[in-house]
Amino acid sequence: MWGGSSFSQDTVNKPTTFSSNILSFKNPSSSISFTGYYRFLGFIRNQKETFPNNSGKTLVISSGDAYREPMFLLKINGKTRDNITFGADLMFNSLYKGPSEDFTQDLTLNLGLNLSTSVITNHGKFNFKAGGVSWYRQSRLTVWGNKSFNRISIFERRPQTPLNQIPINRYSKYYNSGLIDQGVRYGSRAFQGLFFQASRLPYNFNIKGVIGKSNFNRSIIEKGDNFTGSFQIKISPSADLQFAYNHLYSWADTDSLSEDRRGYFINTFELEKKWNKIQVQLEMGIGKYSDPIRSLGYGESILLNIKTAKSTKVPLNLQLYRVSPQFVNVTGNFLNTTILEVFPNVEGVGTTVRTPYQSPMVGLGFPVNNRQGISINTDVILGKLKLNGGIGIFAEIDTSYAALSYIHNINGQTLSRIYVFAQEWGPYNALNSTYRGIFETVNISDTTSSGLANFKKFFNTIEFQAKYNNKIFGKNYYIFSLMRLNTCQKKINLIPQIGTQTLISQLSTEIDFSVELSEKAALVLSYGIEKVLGNSSTDVGDSPEATSTNTFFESLGLDNFYRYTNSRNQKNTLFGFGLDYKIGQNAMVFFRHNQYRYFDPNFIENHLKGRESILEIKINF
Amino acid sequence: MKRNLLILFVFFKFFLSCISLHAQTNENIWFDGLSRSYFARDAIDKSVRDDTLSVKSTSNGYSMLDLNTHVNPIKNMEIFAQLRIRNSFGSFFGSGTQVNVRQLKAKGIINNKIRFSIGDLFLKQSKFTLYNYDDEILRDENDILKAYRDIINYENFYTENRWRLHGIQTDFSFKFDRFVRNVGFDFFITRPSGSRQINETTYSSDLLFSGSSIFSQINKRISLFGNYVNLFEEESSGTKNISVRNPVYDFSMLYHFGSNKYRVEQKIQTGFSRRYWLHSDLENDMLDYTSNDTKGMYFEFNNKYLKNDSTLFLTIGYRYVDPNFRSAGAQTRRLDYFSNRNTIYPFYTNMSLIRPSSTFDLISDEQLYNQNLSSVLMNFNPIYSNILPYGDATPNRNGVYFNGLINNKKKIFVAKFNASFYSEVIGQGTSEKRNFTLFKGNFKINFHQLLNLENEFILSASSVSEYTKRGGKEISSLNLFSHQMNVSANVELVKKLFVQVSYNQISAFGNEFLTQRDNFGNINYFTSVQIDQKDHLLSSGLLYKIRDNVYANIQYNLWGMKFADQPYLDYNYNRFILILSVKL
Repeated sequence: MWGGSSFSQDTVNKPTTFSSNILSFKNPSSSISFTGYYRFLGFIRNQKETFPNNSGKTLVISSGDAYREPMFLLKINGKTRDNITFGADLMFNSLYKGPSEDFTQDLTLNLGLNLSTSVITNHGKFNFKAGGVSWYRQSRLTVWGNKSFNRISIFERRPQTPLNQIPINRYSKYYNSGLIDQGVRYGSRAFQGLFFQASRLPYNFNIKGVIGKSNFNRSIIEKGDNFTGSFQIKISPSADLQFAYNHLYSWADTDSLSEDRRGYFINTFELEKKWNKIQVQLEMGIGKYSDPIRSLGYGESILLNIKTAKSTKVPLNLQLYRVSPQFVNVTGNFLNTTILEVFPNVEGVGTTVRTPYQSPMVGLGFPVNNRQGISINTDVILGKLKLNGGIGIFAEIDTSYAALSYIHNINGQTLSRIYVFAQEWGPYNALNSTYRGIFETVNISDTTSSGLANFKKFFNTIEFQAKYNNKIFGKNYYIFSLMRLNTCQKKINLIPQIGTQTLISQLSTEIDFSVELSEKAALVLSYGIEKVLGNSSTDVGDSPEATSTNTFFESLGLDNFYRYTNSRNQKNTLFGFGLDYKIGQNAMVFFRHNQYRYFDPNFIENHLKGRESILEIKINF
Repeated sequence: MKRNLLILFVFFKFFLSCISLHAQTNENIWFDGLSRSYFARDAIDKSVRDDTLSVKSTSNGYSMLDLNTHVNPIKNMEIFAQLRIRNSFGSFFGSGTQVNVRQLKAKGIINNKIRFSIGDLFLKQSKFTLYNYDDEILRDENDILKAYRDIINYENFYTENRWRLHGIQTDFSFKFDRFVRNVGFDFFITRPSGSRQINETTYSSDLLFSGSSIFSQINKRISLFGNYVNLFEEESSGTKNISVRNPVYDFSMLYHFGSNKYRVEQKIQTGFSRRYWLHSDLENDMLDYTSNDTKGMYFEFNNKYLKNDSTLFLTIGYRYVDPNFRSAGAQTRRLDYFSNRNTIYPFYTNMSLIRPSSTFDLISDEQLYNQNLSSVLMNFNPIYSNILPYGDATPNRNGVYFNGLINNKKKIFVAKFNASFYSEVIGQGTSEKRNFTLFKGNFKINFHQLLNLENEFILSASSVSEYTKRGGKEISSLNLFSHQMNVSANVELVKKLFVQVSYNQISAFGNEFLTQRDNFGNINYFTSVQIDQKDHLLSSGLLYKIRDNVYANIQYNLWGMKFADQPYLDYNYNRFILILSVKL
């Protein structure tokens, strides 16, 4: 500090007349625009059958999406004169429960805010981004998420599902392309930190990466060190050939003194080559995981995908993979089943994202670590009937938990809405809610002295989908049928088998029907049924008597088509109808009503039954 | 609830009215602001052996956007709202998010004559009535620490030595064609602190701060200033029957003359203050009375010589500030490290001692800084500033000062110096008075100008020495020397990309007496302290600077403190920091 003095009003912009207040000048420096949507979601659920530990409340009337989705999303997008863009997405919610302060919702951010800029030089284009959550995608083994769904029932809507020009287009697009784009977040993983990308570099090099945090592999304390960094170097010698090197490293302090650390790294090599009718995608690599208790050492992974062109008579897609148990990652396009601790348990940073980790039975196209297998998919067009299907065989590489988990294909969203993002709930503590889904765990009694399963598990999957389109009274209608069969057993089988030798078999069928009522309206109907059967090596129910696995065949006396069991004998059903209606440009109303039942006669407390009604109004701007 | 309603109001009022419109396309609404991404990782240095209880490393960060919305509903009128959106680093999906209104004000000119502002005001008057003095840490010439300085100033609303206050302000002026050239008036009333509930039955009073100024340019050479401020509590707004009053009166006259080569300014400034506590609404019909009544005055005479080509500035002056001069608006300190604890490693050693603040804390920790006017003198640390802890308004000082600035015409070098010699007006706790000597100097060499380089190459250094001495009996004598030094270099590698390095050190040794004051600012105890410590900060980093307020900065700080014969233990830490700051 200077020991002298100066005039009290010495300022940069010396005012001509005295003012004690600061003077400001108009200097607009940023252009800003706003986009977003309003999405009202009115929800009523009336439960006729509840779990015994239910509070007694059977009717729920609520507004807003239970999965932390905005009712009003206001995206601020700006650009400074220095060509730096900034953005933030504000989320407004209201419970519509009256004026009490207890029901007031804070204004918050949906994802966060970001700063980004691009520098274009003669040597390439360089992008930098920093700030809140951004969606990042690199390679299947490092950072990847499924962007689109092609074998699902599209009866239920997701908030990110875009509005179509007219309601029936949602179903015609699914019929024509087989893909429903669910927005960028489904193709990528959430990261925070510093992102960089260099493209159009000399010799066709491209580099991209991120250093920061993902919502996985977190420290137990909020300010504890935990970082995940990843980068890719890619070269494209020609339009039909690409090579890439990927690296990912993640570590987190596991104690309050930063003495111990849990970490894993991955190095992979990617090759993509296209010939006239065939495309080959290969990614292979090694990874290593260690924490203060165990060091798994190095593990390998390979993903191979061979596709024939769509123009071939019977297009084929052959997928082969092997992901060793030591190859641990939670941001890649495979499920981690080896290390539970990499799933965060820190409030606010992703307690909600624990995926099934105990030998999950999954559909085709979802690799799992500690597993290897092969699957083949194909599709055929017979006039207006489009058929596609696939079959896969998978095996564990090493023995694992004495448990299994399976994702419910029917009533998944309905059940998860009952207890959002809860783990190990339900009367048997077997249910686990995830984002718009639910999985259930099954214990296996055939174990080793160390508590692991006494055998390696083998998995079979068959998926078959039929799509049909025609007109009735001059209006388009669409029928989608999807059948999925997943089984797990102690021995390898080429095709799935249902019987006492199968630990768990899960068979589901979903049929969706949609018809164009007018240009502004579409009616949808949906029916789904799921059967889950366990054998004697799995949990035994609390019902004193064994029950038939199929009451229909039992009533017909067809003994070969059913058996009696004390283990899992679940039946899930759903019947729903709905209406999509366009109320204006970028504005639509969606109504859904369904009747659901989740029932297992052997586990007597596993009985849920009720109805749900959902009214969604979505207005984009 | 009210906060949310206010936020919603701001949004619906200002934002939704311009959906999808670019700001420039709507003349009535325009935007600016600031966005910042910040990440810091702190770690205990490996050399530290006696701290096994603290976490070895910790990291934190955030991204924030301050969106300034200016609405001009009519000509000469503006409504301004600053909305802060903040997102903690590492928090996903809405957690760690803050959205709040940081500033809200309206301003305009009535009938093209009377200027007014309501809401968030940034006020400054004279150096003895209302002035937000810089803190005492030496860093002005250090470019690598600019990012820290920017954050502290921005987060604490420090701008142009003004205090941010909530209230209403107006000013207007008259021009005359004879006797005097013009006369200006300025008035404000603000509320630095509103009434708040202390417990179920007790409420504090509203603390108000009002002021007025009159300014007149008598003729070409003479200007007159008159300022008045008063900090007072409105007792009826609370349940306490005691309330502070602190009026300050200030007068000054400026006379200047010169030629086409130089200019000389002479300023004489004086004023007085009173501070007391009023006891009112007393039980048993007792009459109101005052307590702790103090009165004090000040006087300053200042002469400036300025060369019109800006190559030389010289100042010589004399200042007397009475021991009982009290001015809340001018004597409130920015640094308040006695009330606030360090954010980084607040405790250290295996005994979990409270870690004393170091230079690095004062340079980097915005939480140590204060935004509230204080009716009593705040504590200070004699190591960092023992001579003028309250700026020019420091009470109990009597002395002379010399300032100078030499600037090379080719801008090859700039040098500043300052020498001040003060003594106390009365002794504290003894009849002996402290004597103070202050030397400060800094220089900057622009090698790129000297060597005709295209890219910048700047070397700068600065130094502040403070010497305090009091004679007399051994028990009351004191001797304190403190020295701050800073060396830094800025080298522009390629256009806009700088390599930066700097070293800061503060060393202090000797003894002093720390004063303890009661709630009314009266000294009630002196604590003798022995000081022998060294404080260091080594910084190196990279800066990519697009513009002055648009930059990305990565730096590494190695910092710590060494004590000799002190009850404290040494410490060393290091930090990696990334700051991306964008003025919108």
